[in-house]
Amino acid sequence: MIYILEKKKLDQTLQDWSSKYEVIAPQFVDGVLQFHPVHPNSELALNESINTRYPPKSLFLPQSEVMLRYNPKSNQLEDVKVLPEERIILGIRPCDAYAVTLLDTVFITEENSDPYWLARRSSTIIVGLGCNNPHSTCFCTTVGNGPFNHEGMDALMTEMDDVYFIEPFSDKGDALFSGLPIASEEEQLKVKRHQTQVTESMTIAFETENLKQTLDNLFDTDFWGKISESCLGCGVCTFLCPTCFCFDIVDEVQRNERVRNWDTCMFRIYSQEASGHNPRPTRAERTRQRLMHKYSYLPDQIGKIGCTGCGRCVRYCPVGLDIRAMLRAASDFESEVIHAG
Amino acid sequence: MSEIKAKLRSEIERLLKDRFVDVFIAFKKADAPLRPQPAFFRNTNELDDLEYNGLCQNNLANYLTRYPKDTKIGIVVRGCESRSVNALVVEKQHPRENLYMIGIPCQGIVDIRKIFNRVGEEVANYSEFQDEVSVVFKGEQIKFPRKEVLHDSCLRCVHPNPINPDILLGDPVPEGDPSIVRQSVESFQALDKEKRYALFRQEAERCIRCYACREACPMCYCTECFVDHATPRWTETSISPAGTQAWHLIRAFHMAGRCTSCGACERACPMDIKLTYLTDKLNEDMLATYQFEAGMDDTTQPPFASFNLDDKNRFVV
Repeated sequence: MIYILEKKKLDQTLQDWSSKYEVIAPQFVDGVLQFHPVHPNSELALNESINTRYPPKSLFLPQSEVMLRYNPKSNQLEDVKVLPEERIILGIRPCDAYAVTLLDTVFITEENSDPYWLARRSSTIIVGLGCNNPHSTCFCTTVGNGPFNHEGMDALMTEMDDVYFIEPFSDKGDALFSGLPIASEEEQLKVKRHQTQVTESMTIAFETENLKQTLDNLFDTDFWGKISESCLGCGVCTFLCPTCFCFDIVDEVQRNERVRNWDTCMFRIYSQEASGHNPRPTRAERTRQRLMHKYSYLPDQIGKIGCTGCGRCVRYCPVGLDIRAMLRAASDFESEVIHAG
Repeated sequence: MSEIKAKLRSEIERLLKDRFVDVFIAFKKADAPLRPQPAFFRNTNELDDLEYNGLCQNNLANYLTRYPKDTKIGIVVRGCESRSVNALVVEKQHPRENLYMIGIPCQGIVDIRKIFNRVGEEVANYSEFQDEVSVVFKGEQIKFPRKEVLHDSCLRCVHPNPINPDILLGDPVPEGDPSIVRQSVESFQALDKEKRYALFRQEAERCIRCYACREACPMCYCTECFVDHATPRWTETSISPAGTQAWHLIRAFHMAGRCTSCGACERACPMDIKLTYLTDKLNEDMLATYQFEAGMDDTTQPPFASFNLDDKNRFVV
């Protein structure tokens, strides 16, 4: 089933939603494209070929989250509960929606689930937007995803001419759009053709078939030092990454708060031990960790690559490091150095 | 290949061939579009990758502190980079005799985000000729006067010519006009207290604590930054107002008398946060109070790092 939402009716739809939901959509805020709550005067930026700069993982795993407060008057600890409004995230791209499902495997497990993550997940409807013009830094099809994949979405919008064709993939998604006219068979075919055409136009950035094995083989080589020579060791790639989830829990004592902050394996102190020993002493080991976590360890643990090809790390690396080139170099290094003997 | 790049290449070739340097730090062609990368040349056969153009946005002096002090390092420097190198030599981060600086008078670094903002992010095929830069967007060539797309720090640059290089390639360019820096400092100062604080909050509180500004800065070479210190914790590390404001203020103050206004911090910031309005003000204070500009030679200690036994302020000693 595919519904039709005329673009000119989007405003009305948003208004209808706003009585029941908080709607969050990409907008330029301070010149930076990011997800932001929609207000009556908001200008949505749904037509950008580029993804939001700040990743929407923050809508489920905020960069800083207060987990408990100490009340000095009563000398008690107070739990901080997450009671999010029912909300709709509109215009999330397939790479980012898929990323949320990868993070589910971290925060929702049989033994233990994260209450903050769960609360936000269950109160959120995700309406995605397919990518008509993938950016040159995008490589979703390389990592088993695609510009019209709907994993993680309740509904997927495909923009064509002056309408959004909407495919629901859950009851929640269906309920949102069920009042809309239904596309004819011919139109549905047209949508599918368009999706296939865009998907096939994307080139494969690197081979993934033997990649895990390649990286494992390179573990103890100087490959990592070579590719990380210009790395600054900042947190841009990991903080903007939609699948990086590492965090650090700190006590902000002046505010009597215990806070969970994003952390990154690219920082020296991430792996610094209390003794002073650091098992990942240089940028080489840290770069190895970043790449291998996504392309070796997660495939081991969940059978999926931990990268969705969104391209943010490529676009915003201050020294122009490109993960695609790094992974191509890994295969080259393996065949030149290891196999050559 | 541009004339200056050809000259640079043959000079690096000579240095590497004669084993005059162990490593030469320059830029190489981009993997990602329009992003030349810092590169570390050790053999002449790697030099086909050499790049030198207005998109080379990093301050290469940043990498000096990564090498043992007996490494013979060659480095290509523009005005600000040469001053950063000098400032690092003053701070004893690498001995001058183990450095070989190839200076190139600078026409300013092109701020790729200004081009993105004007034509869109899917631009390709950057080229530059004299005072003009051009890119291709959706098959169409678009030209800009270079001045219109220079990084803000470069528009305010006072010393575009390398200071104290071992060799200078290309003709010197006119020095910048100090009154332009003063204008931007004064326009910030002219705001009333509330507005200044509002602007500071507006910038600082967008920070995502990725520390790209710190890591991109040649002068931020501390093994342990104050924000990373665990016992005691000097600041909040959350993205709270207190945490982000403390980071921005203290970072700026640590730059007093050391910043060369290269703007690498701003270019590295993924959130487009302004940082130089603080350091430019500090730089101006250093100039007005101590007649000191960082990195103008490789011997003078920055005022806040020097002391002598005759200091008129007795509390110093």
